[in-house]
Amino acid sequence: MQELETIETAINPTTTTPETAIAIKNVSVSFKTKKGVFNALNNISLDIKRGEIVTLIGHSGCGKSTLMNTVSGMVAPTSGTVTANDKIVKGPGPDRGIVFQNYSLLPWLSVFQNIYEAVDSVMKDKTAAQKREIVNKNLDMVNLMSHKNKLPGQLSGGMKQRVAIARAFAISPSILLLDEPFGALDALTKSDMQIELLKLWNLANRDKTIVMVTHDVEEAIFLSDRVVVMNNGPAATIKKIVDINLPRPRNKKDISHDPEYMKIHDELLTLLFHKFSIND
Amino acid sequence: MKKEKVLSFIYDTLFFVASMAILVALWELIAYVTKNEIPGPKPTLTVFKELMQEPFYDRGPNDKGIGNQLMSSLYRVFLGFGAGSLIAIPLGLLMGSSKLIMRLLNPIVQILRPVSPLAWFPLGLLAFHAAEGATIFIIIITSLWPTLINTAFGVSSIPQDHKNVGTAFGFSKWKYLTKILIPFSLPHIITGLRLSIGIAWMVIVAGEMLSGGVGIGFFVWDSWNGLSLEKILVAIIIIGLVGVILDKMFNALQNAFAWDK
Repeated sequence: MQELETIETAINPTTTTPETAIAIKNVSVSFKTKKGVFNALNNISLDIKRGEIVTLIGHSGCGKSTLMNTVSGMVAPTSGTVTANDKIVKGPGPDRGIVFQNYSLLPWLSVFQNIYEAVDSVMKDKTAAQKREIVNKNLDMVNLMSHKNKLPGQLSGGMKQRVAIARAFAISPSILLLDEPFGALDALTKSDMQIELLKLWNLANRDKTIVMVTHDVEEAIFLSDRVVVMNNGPAATIKKIVDINLPRPRNKKDISHDPEYMKIHDELLTLLFHKFSIND
Repeated sequence: MKKEKVLSFIYDTLFFVASMAILVALWELIAYVTKNEIPGPKPTLTVFKELMQEPFYDRGPNDKGIGNQLMSSLYRVFLGFGAGSLIAIPLGLLMGSSKLIMRLLNPIVQILRPVSPLAWFPLGLLAFHAAEGATIFIIIITSLWPTLINTAFGVSSIPQDHKNVGTAFGFSKWKYLTKILIPFSLPHIITGLRLSIGIAWMVIVAGEMLSGGVGIGFFVWDSWNGLSLEKILVAIIIIGLVGVILDKMFNALQNAFAWDK
């Protein structure tokens, strides 16, 4: 935490110019299923600024992962466009790092190799030594140096997720996309990982844009600049965008007593809870 | 931990000895019931010792030691199995990675797979004009199916998660092949190879009975013609033991390449 604070104060927020990192414009997504066409997203528009942390929140199956996957390029919109770093998204690219819900590490490769293969694939013009150095630097950042030769099967869930995050950071993307990254972790590990993520974001001069899918209200408030609350699918839309005007650095313990925090927490719960009462 | 290992080893040995004792007892019983028309373990052991005195003698084309017979069978099996695998693995990789090729070739595999490899023997004779070529040919056919089917299954069951890694980080075709497709399918491929060599070892005996010349299968047939049932029983035991060794070899290979230990 000490490190976190010193880094944060060293940054002058006025130097960063707000520009659009991600522009989602009238995006609809529908899938063909055996029962017919399933409309997952309906005409969604959303702009995300460079260096912003935005979380997508909503109930299971509301299409929040689908929305994020249109940014990653893993899902193509049926209509509308997604622009990332001024380029229309046509597929996955090295400017967008992805952290998957279930870690998605290759079980036959060591921790080091898992990151190395991603770096090797993206940074083709670097020498092997340079690539190894990048991997080591990122392993060091997530404190996994001593586990670099282990196979993913020998790691705990939290460690696996740190590898996945290190892998996403290692290709130095300007946009990071995280799909419920801490969903499978216990509460304590989850808190550690949230702080770790912010630490990495700070180390990168708060330049990286982070989009994260979650269903955890506290996590969303603690991390984000804005929380995008989504309606339930099918044909999901954005219900409301809530600004989180809490000063950074944020302290997990202190923040929960902040009246602003409580107000936002209440608002988000009402937005989500309201949906519950309709359904049940 | 170590104590447990020693204990389980002792148990394994005891059960093995017990199992062998049952086998020998049954064998004795059969010899007794048939009034030694089928020789019992003792006379078989005597013949076994005789054969082992000079296993690699060579007195002309129709009189070779049992070691020679075994070696030429193993040679044929490995040659046929090797060639069969070289066809089956790439074809399986193709079938597993392309739905089109799978749908196109799978019916052929389904029709040819249940055919006894021996049925191909005459075609082998026609093609190679020699019993030797025909025998290796049927081993090639035998080795195809389990490897082909297991490889194709392995490749087609790569989880979406692993594929996503390749897509998300822009893996080249080569990187996808060497870092995702092959490592994932390797245990399946080895399972196929293990099944293939097992069946190939069974088929070689029958094949050599047809082809004649030299080989453990020919040795069994030749011993029948020479009315030496002891030799046949010795051959059966040796065939069984070699089969176990081959299986253990591929089992070790399976363990060496299993990433989901």
